[in-house]
Amino acid sequence: MSEKSTQGFHRHGSNSYVADFSPSEREVLINLSSQIIELLAERVDHGHEDPLAAMVGITSHDSPPEDDVLRRLLPNAYEDEFDASEFRRYTESTLRNKKQAHAMAMRMYLKSAEDGTVDLDHDAANAWLGAFNDIRLALGVRLKVETQSHDELELLSPDDPLRGVYAVYSWLGWLQESLVLALMDEA
Amino acid sequence: MVKTAEKIEEEIRAIFSADRPWVTIVWDDPVNLMTYVTYVLMELFGFSKEKATELMLKVHNEGKAIVSTGSREEMEHDVARLHEFGLWATIAQGDEAL
Repeated sequence: MSEKSTQGFHRHGSNSYVADFSPSEREVLINLSSQIIELLAERVDHGHEDPLAAMVGITSHDSPPEDDVLRRLLPNAYEDEFDASEFRRYTESTLRNKKQAHAMAMRMYLKSAEDGTVDLDHDAANAWLGAFNDIRLALGVRLKVETQSHDELELLSPDDPLRGVYAVYSWLGWLQESLVLALMDEA
Repeated sequence: MVKTAEKIEEEIRAIFSADRPWVTIVWDDPVNLMTYVTYVLMELFGFSKEKATELMLKVHNEGKAIVSTGSREEMEHDVARLHEFGLWATIAQGDEAL
């Protein structure tokens, strides 16, 4: 396995998007995708719900998650509270499952890529994009990207643990962009 | 009796609002990459690169853009798919959105 850091994703042929990861990069991505899977699992209902309702995807959740990160991943679909909670009751579990499936696809590809090379088809690439985005949304909440400018984040002290988080956040953005550009490359 | 009157009023309001289309709005978000937003709009709505880029820039510069219009059910479908890919999107009825 190469120790060299990744050059991002490149298109190989008509339906193949390839990146090589170093062992430490692969480990970082496996960890991050696992954390998203676990975080979304925390939102799953325990007991107290109608099994038939659960079977067709209706959950007892009709209010947004209290956790800032989960609220960012599972946002309201309406500005109106009543409409938002009705919509959430019928759709949140489906959204959660799809987001988990994206992160699981990322983790599965990485775990089976013992030499560090992942080769994605179009559908897998879309799943990876969704997973990259969810991880960046989660890190972005922690970094307060909403209110902090990039300049402020660049100036974080080397002792500040958020500086490392920001480095990972930026790296993921660069990787995600390389995959988007490979997908949009029509040549 | 009051209940009936309220119901009738609600019905009438529904009749008059029925032809106002529903819209899907995408909101600006500092996390989402501009290229990614463009790609998601192309992928989910089948927009050309030009059309998707134009909408992405509207979101970026004006804070929001309407990306689809139609029945409430169709908009709920669109918003669910946008949420799946992490875009910040909401549903509104015609004139509330503008």
